[in-house]
Amino acid sequence: MVESVPLTWEEVARVYGRKIYNFAYRLTGNPDDAHDLVQEVLLRVRKGLANYQPGSFEGWLWRITRNAFLDDIRKKKRRPTAPLPDEVDRWELASTESADAAYARISLGDDIQKALLDVPFEFREAVVLCDIVGLSYEEISLAVAVPIGTVRSRIHRGRKILREMLS
Amino acid sequence: MTHPNELLSAYLDGELHGTELSGLLEHLSGCGKCSAELNDIQQVRAAVRSLPVLELAEGIVPEADPVVVPLRRNRGVWVGAAAAAIALVVTVAALATTPPAPVSVDDLSSRFGARVSLDPAFSPAKVVVPELELAGE
Repeated sequence: MVESVPLTWEEVARVYGRKIYNFAYRLTGNPDDAHDLVQEVLLRVRKGLANYQPGSFEGWLWRITRNAFLDDIRKKKRRPTAPLPDEVDRWELASTESADAAYARISLGDDIQKALLDVPFEFREAVVLCDIVGLSYEEISLAVAVPIGTVRSRIHRGRKILREMLS
Repeated sequence: MTHPNELLSAYLDGELHGTELSGLLEHLSGCGKCSAELNDIQQVRAAVRSLPVLELAEGIVPEADPVVVPLRRNRGVWVGAAAAAIALVVTVAALATTPPAPVSVDDLSSRFGARVSLDPAFSPAKVVVPELELAGE
């Protein structure tokens, strides 16, 4: 795990701005929302950096990013293209009723991106943090605040759902 | 037969160790179903990872911290104030310790000339002529 902590907010912005943007874009498929999230996260990082306690900076940063993302969704009263976490348990692989609505909001004709947007949020988030952001399971565990076993399970299930959608 | 499917992604991500890793490898050597699933998951994993890295639009990440700007201005004010205070102290000290000396035209010329000579954009003629016109009015 990377334990080094950027010294200044500007360094955080430069080093992680693009990663945060890619995280948000792959979760939403919407560049404007992704830009908004980057700015919101950097604002929160700026406020919180003074009180940052040495530890997993990645876990700290991505927990902020995740919280900002979920807050933004709730604030706009707009549902993501897949159920929110509290509805995941009721989700089933065969349920694709929201696909049309989801596709309407997609700006890129990218099959993988489209499929990602139809993966339930918890699994999509785990896959994006692992495969797009490049976090370790331990870092994802800290960011999402779930045990590593849950991270392992979510990543695998997310990939299985993607496989079904892409096949 | 129990299939340790959920370990497949962890294995591909290098997150499996010890007995879990050795147990999975042993299972994979004799289970075609899990080997096929491993291959599928590997392809999906590679596909997601092949998504292009998107560049952040300019201006989203500020070039300079807006908080720093007023601090720099303030710092400039303080530096300027400090310099002015030091200059005032030095001037007062000089006036207090040295008697006023008569200033000759040569002194002014040498001081003025020296100052102009530091700036190649100015020539002595450009500076001297206006002063002569003013003197004539």
